Amino acid sequence: MKNNWIWFVFLMFLVSKAGTAVAQESSSAHIIGIGGTNILDTYISQEKYKGTGLTYLYIRERAKSGKHWSNVFEHELDLSRADDRSKTTSEIEASYNLYWGRYRSWNLLNDHLRLQAGGLVNGTLGFIYNMTSSNNPAQARVAINLMPSAIATYDFRLWKKRFDVRYELNLPLLGVMFSPNYGQSYYEIFSLGNYDHNIVPTTFISAPTFRQQITIDWRANDSFTLRVGYLGNYQQAAVNNLKQHVYTHRVLIGFVKHFEITPRP
Amino acid sequence: MKHILLIFITLFTLTACVEEEEFPNTAQGNFEALWKIIDEHYCFFDYKQQAYGLDWNAVYNKYKVRAKGNIDSYQLFEVFTDMLSELRDGHVNLYTSFDNGRYWKWHENYPTNFSDTLQRRYLGTDYHITSGMQYRILDDQIGYLYVGSFTYDIGEGSLDEIIKHFAFCNGLIIDIRSNGGGNLTSAETLAARFCHEKTLTGYLQHKTGKGHSDFSEMEPQYMEPSSRLRWYKPIAILTNRGVFSAANDFVKTMKCFPMVVTVGDQTGGGSGLPFTSTLPNGWTVRFSACPSYDRNCQQVEFGIAPDYEVNQTDDDFRQGIDTLIEFARKLLVK
Repeated sequence: MKNNWIWFVFLMFLVSKAGTAVAQESSSAHIIGIGGTNILDTYISQEKYKGTGLTYLYIRERAKSGKHWSNVFEHELDLSRADDRSKTTSEIEASYNLYWGRYRSWNLLNDHLRLQAGGLVNGTLGFIYNMTSSNNPAQARVAINLMPSAIATYDFRLWKKRFDVRYELNLPLLGVMFSPNYGQSYYEIFSLGNYDHNIVPTTFISAPTFRQQITIDWRANDSFTLRVGYLGNYQQAAVNNLKQHVYTHRVLIGFVKHFEITPRP
Repeated sequence: MKHILLIFITLFTLTACVEEEEFPNTAQGNFEALWKIIDEHYCFFDYKQQAYGLDWNAVYNKYKVRAKGNIDSYQLFEVFTDMLSELRDGHVNLYTSFDNGRYWKWHENYPTNFSDTLQRRYLGTDYHITSGMQYRILDDQIGYLYVGSFTYDIGEGSLDEIIKHFAFCNGLIIDIRSNGGGNLTSAETLAARFCHEKTLTGYLQHKTGKGHSDFSEMEPQYMEPSSRLRWYKPIAILTNRGVFSAANDFVKTMKCFPMVVTVGDQTGGGSGLPFTSTLPNGWTVRFSACPSYDRNCQQVEFGIAPDYEVNQTDDDFRQGIDTLIEFARKLLVK
């Protein structure tokens, strides 16, 4: 009986693959970034912390040939160290952000301009750690956001080389995040299990997180594309009478691979 | 397409920055920042207003005039420490690179009731040490366990060994004199060895907003019995004014168990879970943020009275006798 189920699932998998045997255009980008970070978390301190951080960004975009819909996955890893204005105390911030978006596209200007609009789901996992506080030194950052998103890509030729300018904007709409209550300790939440509005629904008013990136791609040849640009990620929340923001500004450099997946006839 | 554009423009326009008021890094600015942090986060304003008339707004007016002009860091530190001392709280500290501001009158104004010279006569030199605790069996088959701090993680294996070592003792003295606290979880791990059924031990609250009276509901705290070796015989806990914070909480919990008595002086208190924050000049301030209460919903911020009030006598000291240990031994032998 168990074997029958395995065969059934396997056959369904083959059928589903056969049904989607359409050529796919795909690109993947590996990018690193460096730049400023600005941290505020009033659960830890009223002071703002400013410093420098590193980012690794992976973007994969996939669309079926001839179709107007595409999927975009982005993995963003951030690590920052920041100091207060007196340079006496420091904080470390680390986070992982996953973005999964689905877009409808329109081609304009003789196919030189491609506009994409849609939405994405953002998952955030991270922490802020104050290196001098002993009693409430850390803040966990866990959130899921639904974000309207748009991408504009314009390709042009300069000095007989092909360039693409790409701008992406992700805006806040709805979400849910973890937060301790105003003066609630992590000991009370996790050792005693006392819940008090620790899972908080958010909107674009209470968690006005937004993100933008502008990049220029230089297609050196068919197999190599150089990407430079800027990524600004402005993560913010004001819930449970606590305020938090983590602003990251990154200068980006990386490479992009374009490829086409053609199914066997 | 127009609708999509309209949605994006609307959302972008409504997206604002989340910011916090920033005070200048001057004497006055640091004063305002410190006063505000305490005003919005400190958890004992109402209780201390009733207990001794604390008025935080009056404190602002009193110290504001001292924290202005071109005063240096040492003078500013003195002003801030004096201001924070108005809270009469051992959990309130100001940390700088040159000094730690503190209020220690809760134990400095009282007899110590503890001497390590005397303790050495009881412990000898061949006592055992594990998880930061010292222990041995006294001549009259009374176990003696000294827990000087809860800053160590207390291992379950260590507690098994201690209880096995005391297996044939008639009673146990747990000496926590001058234990200034540490990890609540360590205190709970130890207390669970003396708990035999799920027991209500107290209540906990936290602040939910910036107002002095913005608190959550009182959440009951329960102690569950340890699933490992447990102690069933009589216990005497020795206390003095140096018993503070997690050690104070340990006494609060242990007093809920029927075979436990406390001997010595009132504990030092410190029932607020502390938080920290920072000032524009980089100084760190610590303060009580979450109040805890005993099982009768009473404050234990200023300490817990002993069942038997016993003080170290000069005569005993001269004879090398620890009055509190001797009193507890007689109590347990009965």
